[in-house]
Amino acid sequence: MLKKDRWLLPEGVREIMSPEARAIEMSRRKILDMYHGCGYDLVQPPFIDFYDSLLTGMGHDLELMTFTLTDQLSGKLLGIRSDMTPQVSRIDAHYIKDHHPSRLCYLGEVLQSRLDDFSQSRCPLQAGAEIYGHDGIESDIEIIQLMIKTIRAVGVDSLTLDLGHVGIFRCLSEQAELSDFDREQLFEAFQRKAITEIKAFLAQLNLAQEYQDAFINLVNLHGSIDILAKAREQLNYPDIIKHIDLLEQAANKLQQLTPNVKLFFDLSELRGFNYHTGIVFSAYIEGHGQAIAQGGRYDGIGEKFGRARSATGFSTDLAHLVEITGFHQNSQDWEQLKAIFAPAVDEGNESLCLAIEKLRAEGERVICELKGQTVDYDKMNCNRRLVCKNKVWLVESI
Amino acid sequence: MQTITIALSKGRIFKETLPLLAHADIIPLDDPESSRKLILDTNQEHIKLVIIRATDVPTYVQYGAADIGVAGKDVLLEHGGQGLYEPIDLGIAKCKLMTAGPMDAEINYFEQGKKIRVATKFVNVAKRFYAEKGVQAEVIKLYGSMELAPIVNLADRIVDVVDTGNTLKANGLKPMEHIADISSRLVVNKASMKMKHDEMHHLIKKISEAV
Repeated sequence: MLKKDRWLLPEGVREIMSPEARAIEMSRRKILDMYHGCGYDLVQPPFIDFYDSLLTGMGHDLELMTFTLTDQLSGKLLGIRSDMTPQVSRIDAHYIKDHHPSRLCYLGEVLQSRLDDFSQSRCPLQAGAEIYGHDGIESDIEIIQLMIKTIRAVGVDSLTLDLGHVGIFRCLSEQAELSDFDREQLFEAFQRKAITEIKAFLAQLNLAQEYQDAFINLVNLHGSIDILAKAREQLNYPDIIKHIDLLEQAANKLQQLTPNVKLFFDLSELRGFNYHTGIVFSAYIEGHGQAIAQGGRYDGIGEKFGRARSATGFSTDLAHLVEITGFHQNSQDWEQLKAIFAPAVDEGNESLCLAIEKLRAEGERVICELKGQTVDYDKMNCNRRLVCKNKVWLVESI
Repeated sequence: MQTITIALSKGRIFKETLPLLAHADIIPLDDPESSRKLILDTNQEHIKLVIIRATDVPTYVQYGAADIGVAGKDVLLEHGGQGLYEPIDLGIAKCKLMTAGPMDAEINYFEQGKKIRVATKFVNVAKRFYAEKGVQAEVIKLYGSMELAPIVNLADRIVDVVDTGNTLKANGLKPMEHIADISSRLVVNKASMKMKHDEMHHLIKKISEAV
């Protein structure tokens, strides 16, 4: 490598310095403590794992995202986790034999072979929580609340919650007896809400007019809570009505529990369609073009690991969350890095040692002089110093 | 009122989008052809137009630097269109995305296994198209004047948008295979659609009335 290229970093990889690194770490602690307080057990799945188990239950969504390497010991293909959810599901399916609902949380680096749309990063710091073994709206609500708390813990107040239900599109595809291939084509156009293409595609399939209308209506069903009533009229199939009822129940509860969160409904939002089975949700904040946290119900992922359990959860990239919420504008973060400068400790100077340890125990940052160094308080980020007056060590500002 | 930023490219798309915007009562206060400004004010204080290169429109909208934009289907096909909504076919700036080659070229000219060279700015589209046809193609990325490539023997074929076909003819080329019909689409940022829904909904409705 040429000398001038040594500073280059791989695409989507960055070095994080203080105070940002510190801000991320503080958020990490805060969030894990909060999950702990809410009864979520922390799990730490391995960073590398067998490739097949990393992809289990997630459809094709993670295939291209996962870095692979060969295990010299077993000859098998290993992968570096690109999403911790399947690993956490495996932990629930395999180690937790109990039939009680289990609450698990995780926080760690994942590695993605492609740049993520959201963060333009290939190594997000994934934080998330999951509830297994409860099939009902209550667990979805708890997870959504926890997601909102996570975002608020990083310092964001106003956010929009986008709610949808992948079962509606799935039901309609089944009713209309679409083949897997056709459904995938339609799904792709739905992701882009490309109405013109959807119309042309449906017409070409020779689908009954009833279903053509239903699909076109579905793609337009996004907006405030009023669209749920409209959805009931336009998609009057018993199974779909059940899903809409569920969404409405969730919406009503969320309005009571988190009145400051703006709710938005999008019945044609199909993110994670390959593994989600019920309510899906994501959070958006002002000035950011992509969702900042997302999740949903994914019953049945555990089945692939030998134990089918209902599941719902969310995840976010904590490093990116801290980055976009403007840690650097937060003078508090800078302030926390300011230190007290203490003179070098000579032998026998126990009172100085004690003074330094006392300050550190109080949470202060104390930097000790190294013999022979030059002293520039600004460069060392010190705004106070320790001085001895009448045999007492005192802190004075510089 | 929340600010709404509309991304447009100069030239044909801008001219043909103006009447549609006018129907939504949005009239730019400057003309991008004569003004050097990149952000144009409109008669509505909360609506701004940003004037950028056509290929940059999906990027601006995807990242939320603009809430809404007008992009040709050719540009969207090349970009991949992920992370965007494209709710309306505006039916403007129509043309075709085609392959073209020298006058004496034949479509089934290639012998099995022979590799051809294709010059284009639509690298992804060209790769996909030839792969589907089972033709091995070496795609050369160019930024303009594609018609020159076959003449100077840089490539056997080009992939480009064709309107009247006059430029091709003037350079001794002919349009060959049809890849896609092109027209401009309204593209919308996903987050804007959710967070500024009322404004977006109104704007999309007005524009679709005028199409």
